[in-house]
Amino acid sequence: MTRAAAASTSLDAPPQVDVDRQQILRILTKHRQGRGTLVAVLQDIQARYGYLPEQALRAVADETGRPLVDVYGLATFYRCFTLQPRGKHLISACLGTACHVRGAPRIVKEFQHQLGIQAGETTADRQFTLETVNCLGACALGPVVVIDGHYFSKVRKSRVRQLLEEALTGFDKADAAQAERTFPIDVSCPRCNHSLMDEDFPIDGRPSIRCTVSFDRLHGWLRLSSLYGSSSISAEHEIPPQTVVSFFCPHCHAQLVGRSVCAACEAPMVPMLVRGGGTVQVCSRRGCPSRDLEVS
Amino acid sequence: MLRADADESRLRIAICAGTACRASGAGQVVQALKGYIIQNRLQGRISLQTTGCHGFCEMGPFILTLPQQAFYTQVRPADVPKIMEAALSGGYAEDLLYRDPHTGKTYYRREEIPFFRHQQRTILGASQKIDPTRIHDYIAQGGYEALEQVLARADPEWVVREVKASGLRGRGGGGFPTGLKWELLARQPGGRGKYVVCNADEGDPGAYMDRSILEGNPHSIIEGMLVGAYATAATEGVVYVRAEYPLAVRHLTVALEQAREHGLLGEDILGSGFGFDIRIVRGAGAFVCGEETALIRSIEGQMGEPRQRPPYPVQKGIDGRPTVINNVETWANIPVILRGGAEEFAKIGTKNNSGTKIFSLVGKIRNTGLVEVPMGSTIRQIVYDIGGGPVGKARIKAVQTGGPSGGCIPASLFDLPIDYDSLSQAGSIMGSGGMIVMDENTCMVDVAKYFMNFLKDESCGKCFTCRKGTQRMHELLDDISKGKATPQHLSLLEELAAVVKDTTMCGLGQTASNPVLSTLRYFHKEYQRHVVDKRCDAFVCADLVGAPCQAACPLDTEAWRYVALIEKGRYEEAYQVVRQANPFPSICARVCDRKCEQRCQLGAGEEQAVAIRALKRFLTDRVRPAAYKPPRAAPAGGHAAKVAVVGAGPAGLAAAHYLSLLGHRVTIFEAETEPGGMLISCIPPYRLPRSIVRQEIDSLVDDDNITLRCGAVLGADVTIDGLLADGFGAIFLAMGANRSWTLDLPGEELGGVYSSMEFLKAFNLRGEELAGGHVAVIGGGNSAVDAARVAIRQENVQSVSLLYRRTDQEMPAYAEEVEAALQEGIQLETLVSPVRIRYIEAARKEGIRVETMVQPVRIYSQQGRLVGIECIRNRLGEVDASGRRSPVPIPGSEFSLSLNTLIVAIGERPDSDGLASMGLELDRGGRLPVDARTFATNRQGVFAGGDLVTGPNTVADAIAAGKKAATVMDRYLRGQGLIQEPQIHLPKLFLEPAEVGEEEREHAQRAEPATLPVESRKKNFAEVEMALSAEQARAEARRCLRCDLGFTERDEPGPGRPAVEGASA
Repeated sequence: MTRAAAASTSLDAPPQVDVDRQQILRILTKHRQGRGTLVAVLQDIQARYGYLPEQALRAVADETGRPLVDVYGLATFYRCFTLQPRGKHLISACLGTACHVRGAPRIVKEFQHQLGIQAGETTADRQFTLETVNCLGACALGPVVVIDGHYFSKVRKSRVRQLLEEALTGFDKADAAQAERTFPIDVSCPRCNHSLMDEDFPIDGRPSIRCTVSFDRLHGWLRLSSLYGSSSISAEHEIPPQTVVSFFCPHCHAQLVGRSVCAACEAPMVPMLVRGGGTVQVCSRRGCPSRDLEVS
Repeated sequence: MLRADADESRLRIAICAGTACRASGAGQVVQALKGYIIQNRLQGRISLQTTGCHGFCEMGPFILTLPQQAFYTQVRPADVPKIMEAALSGGYAEDLLYRDPHTGKTYYRREEIPFFRHQQRTILGASQKIDPTRIHDYIAQGGYEALEQVLARADPEWVVREVKASGLRGRGGGGFPTGLKWELLARQPGGRGKYVVCNADEGDPGAYMDRSILEGNPHSIIEGMLVGAYATAATEGVVYVRAEYPLAVRHLTVALEQAREHGLLGEDILGSGFGFDIRIVRGAGAFVCGEETALIRSIEGQMGEPRQRPPYPVQKGIDGRPTVINNVETWANIPVILRGGAEEFAKIGTKNNSGTKIFSLVGKIRNTGLVEVPMGSTIRQIVYDIGGGPVGKARIKAVQTGGPSGGCIPASLFDLPIDYDSLSQAGSIMGSGGMIVMDENTCMVDVAKYFMNFLKDESCGKCFTCRKGTQRMHELLDDISKGKATPQHLSLLEELAAVVKDTTMCGLGQTASNPVLSTLRYFHKEYQRHVVDKRCDAFVCADLVGAPCQAACPLDTEAWRYVALIEKGRYEEAYQVVRQANPFPSICARVCDRKCEQRCQLGAGEEQAVAIRALKRFLTDRVRPAAYKPPRAAPAGGHAAKVAVVGAGPAGLAAAHYLSLLGHRVTIFEAETEPGGMLISCIPPYRLPRSIVRQEIDSLVDDDNITLRCGAVLGADVTIDGLLADGFGAIFLAMGANRSWTLDLPGEELGGVYSSMEFLKAFNLRGEELAGGHVAVIGGGNSAVDAARVAIRQENVQSVSLLYRRTDQEMPAYAEEVEAALQEGIQLETLVSPVRIRYIEAARKEGIRVETMVQPVRIYSQQGRLVGIECIRNRLGEVDASGRRSPVPIPGSEFSLSLNTLIVAIGERPDSDGLASMGLELDRGGRLPVDARTFATNRQGVFAGGDLVTGPNTVADAIAAGKKAATVMDRYLRGQGLIQEPQIHLPKLFLEPAEVGEEEREHAQRAEPATLPVESRKKNFAEVEMALSAEQARAEARRCLRCDLGFTERDEPGPGRPAVEGASA
């Protein structure tokens, strides 16, 4: 089946998600405590659902006592809000002046052609949403397209189709060179400086990093790959995705925790010392790929 | 003291990790660097710094190694070991250093690179020394010293005075003096608190310096705001930042946290008793929020609609409290002013416009990126010295500044100093510093339409004239871009633009007309071309262009169509398509200048244009001309009119042919002994075999309606009055341009010195070989290369040099021809002499020595015969009116050449002296001016076309002139009006596209026709270029992007349209 044949139209209304009122309340409470405004509330709701569901707007109006028309007004005034659910993959094609003079309209046309939708629409299989934006601020590299947070510069018409295919596979997986960029690191506990390396339990063909962890009242060992860039792990108890886990040193039993939080999911980062100098930090949330390495 | 001394002696590796470099793969390079450091245990020896934007975004990602200052551009992860090894040994990895793509020069130190050398990087320079997520990096560079100083003085009024004295004006575009704004805020009662706001809602598409500063040096903004707050007794700060800038938000968040941890924000800052904090408000995407009253509403969480002023924000701003709003770059300048002193700051730039300004130099320019220059620098300095000029051969025609509120400044005003006042006088504004460079391939109507489309979407709708006015202006511009406009559209547009400007409330509406008014003011001709001639010369407005290959062809040949037919193996039909448009298909298949290929969309990308001319050659070699029978019209009124054509070159013959088809009886008068004009007298047989020319001309002349009279010279044998008296109803003059320009040096009359025309004619028409011994050809055009290549084939010639006064980049000759000539043994000297060269590639191949940047100054003789010349070398000077750098002789660089033959090929002009006495008005170059649309001269019934009108021009243009003139003359003879409504030729016929797989498309290469080996073409005149094989031709045709489908295919989505997966399988 072609995507084009099943493109969404205004007639078949897209399925709306179920809105959890508690979630909306949590967002409102968070902003009531700070100096946040209704715009910030809507931004958080959109970050949560990918769009502004009608139920959520109604809930916001009820809870704040603001007329629904005000909430709707904001939601339609600002460009970044959308009332339609977005597809799994979001394509933002820049139509800034610099991109425009370098042929961005032709790129947008090619995306429309390949996807069988117009800019602002979502394919019927909910895989792709195509948006145009006024400027992404990477003007020197135009035409610029951002797909799922990945920037692509100097995009040519002939590359569009390939980009869509890579988006479906996932850009990280499509990047074959990824494996070659991993490298081994040896780490130790930042508190007692004992090595955390476990030669008896190799992962990725290298000694693994041994820690003890606890989550959901479970306590046990966890071994991480010592290849920086690899996400391979082995654990005594299966850790459900998205769970935030506490890490401990198996020698001094101190909790491995610093002051940093993950830039992507705000879970605490787990620090370890790199032999030879430097610090490596990994996100404590199961499934979050965030990691950071300081080498000085 | 906050400051800790940075360890400067350690080896430092700085890598830019701004958004642009990340987009180019900086993340992977950083990882590779870290891997290298860890694997080689270098942690203690090297400090690795991921910094903000360096500005040279086009060439990212970069690595800068210090202390060497080695600057590596477009680094890939695989380059890292080599760079690190070089850095560790204190050396350079030469092949990875920045190399100027134009000159090929390698630069070792960053500061030597022209892009950086011509800048004054006060603000941007700081970013590249700092890891934006480490406050200590900022402090080590003297950060927060300005704040310490201010707090130590404890005199807010002094701060205001300093900022006023610095002359700093708002960098967001308005140019309001910052110090004055602060003074107004300081005077406001602060009972309920006051705000300072950093406007980082960089809404101008094409400008990104604010993003770069926020990402690269967020602490400078925080420090600036702290100083501002202290000076004005503000209690709260807000940074209003675009949601499209996630990295900027992240770095700013980290910076704010670090500042709080260090006691730089919050209560009792650094023990001074002064309290202040900053929060981030993320914008939600509305251009109008650049207007300060709208921005305030947006911060308050409302719809960002502007309101009437007064009261001004400084009186009533956020939540009704006094508020000052400054742009990111303005705030970043504050620490600079206080650290160095207002007086020092005011010395930079010009009076009333002090300091530096950052521009985002983007669009059609070689070096794109962020540049920082003192105010008052000229546009020319930025575009040419820093930006490196145009990307390809297309000439730069304008820069757009100020975003949607700004205007376009034409190249003729590039010496304008950049400051708030000059730009606004020129009809633009400074804006936040976007500078978008536009070249000949940018359509100014399209640019105006683009901005109006933007503005109509971004107008908040509060003022009727802005809401409706921008919409209507967009509709008018849309009509113009689609060929639906009348001249009234232009006057209406101008009137409407003025009304919107005068009657709207906020800055958005008041400046919304600028893109329209400035383009109308400076590029009125382009509008006229769209409205009157229905042409978009930049090939941008799709509804006027259709398929670019067809639109580019002076003969309107449907190239896309015959290419598609070749792909299907339908060669006869393809030939008919060619022949229908062009009576000289075999000739054009060899010597056409290929405007179609220059406009091919495939060539616009990284791939190479479809080899359309080679495909035409394939057809004409394969299909018998009899496959096409031209349709003939019955003569008007039952009897044919008599028409005279003077000159049997391509223009004259084409006119005669089409007049005959339209039923007229034509007599052609030709001065030489045989027809063909330039085709036989100038173009050498190795490019265009004589048999081909004769065959094609014979097929046209062998026509009952056409009489050919050779040896008949206008002025001697016939006159215009005589022809008219003889009953010729109309006359078409097409005698070409066959008189050579001279060097104007004494000695040109000597034996052994020839004009290229004289030399080529002698050989091509009479077989005389005038050249012998050592030969020099002066010139850079096609006829210079032709003369050189003919000379090297002559019996008594020992060597041939081609001398040209500019560089070979600027030679007007076709590059591949010059290359061939060099192969054939011709020497080329460029930057030598007074003309420009064509055909360089072929010439080089033939062994011709090409010397550029030299020009002859003296001719030596002995006994009335040439023995040599003296030349002088040139250097490149300033950019001249043609957009190129003009050659300037270098005194003392003279050198001599011993010569037996000198051929002067510096251009031709029509041999038209006799025409003046026949009542025709000529211009100073001896050309005969005609009405561009009707080919009519100043004499009734006398028309003209080809090189006689244009000066030396291409074969295709000459044929086109003859073809078009024939239709006009037919209308004249039938007593109809001469002017026909211009028609837009969009592709109509649908031809099924070929199924081309991803793999095939990726690996397809442009087909290059085989050429005769160099060894077998010296000293003979056999045709050099050969035809493609059928296999090659069909594969080449499959590369076509089929731009025609956009017009012939149904546009609505439906089954059968290609989709992402599986659809083409």
